[in-house]
Amino acid sequence: MANFDQELDARGLNCPLPILRAKKSINELNAGQVLHVLATDPGSVKDFEAFCKQTGNALLASGESEGTFTFDIRKA
Amino acid sequence: MTKRLKAAERRASILAVAKVLFADKGYHGVSVDDIATRLGVSPAVLYQHFPSKEALYGAVLNTISEIRESYVEAVLAGPLDFAGVLRRMLRVFIESVARDPDYLRMEMLSVLEGASAAKQFFENRWRSFTDYIEVSLKELSAEGRVSPVNPKTASLMFQGMIREALYEKCIVKSDRYRETDLDALVQQLIDLFLRAIAYQSDKR
Repeated sequence: MANFDQELDARGLNCPLPILRAKKSINELNAGQVLHVLATDPGSVKDFEAFCKQTGNALLASGESEGTFTFDIRKA
Repeated sequence: MTKRLKAAERRASILAVAKVLFADKGYHGVSVDDIATRLGVSPAVLYQHFPSKEALYGAVLNTISEIRESYVEAVLAGPLDFAGVLRRMLRVFIESVARDPDYLRMEMLSVLEGASAAKQFFENRWRSFTDYIEVSLKELSAEGRVSPVNPKTASLMFQGMIREALYEKCIVKSDRYRETDLDALVQQLIDLFLRAIAYQSDKR
């Protein structure tokens, strides 16, 4: 089973849209819940690192498979 | 350690000189010999750091790629409404361009020269705005919060007016717009843009 509470499909979107959508999605979560993000923009790796650093949310895991980047972010 | 530092300093000085020359004469108007002569070194020294002129040009462009991180900060710095995010992103962008207008010159020259790597780079630079506007306008249109507009045309309008403002204020510097500073000019243009698409900030 998937180990997250909500999924955000940001594939095909470029900076800053994945970040913007992630911020909106996380606003709807409770503290401790996990958002799973899918993205195709290669810059999203740095963007989500910066996002987590600036928001205080935890980047639990990130990965890449066949051009799709994934990020698991736990709401602080 | 000292040798490494010197190499880093040398690389930085090559990039700085190359940027000024590329901004002045374009990619095709500058040779590796020209850059080496300006630096007072042999071309072999340049090739120790960059395998080709193309690689050097790419490295010059990449020195401004850190602007993306600032967009993340801009997005997070306030309310997430369309106009607010657009204004904050644009402030980051125009500050970056105003700080170093050489990149604007490189963009103009790359369009004229048709240098594909540079063209792609600058297209990507604008893409944060054009994609954001296109995707947002589709959503706002579905909510009835903008007038029916072609999102691609609207994003082209936005890019055109902002680029012209930057060109006017950072390169041409004519008397006509002297009394208006760049930030004020850009804010007025965003206001015009939002009015043109009949943007409604509040949900009905």
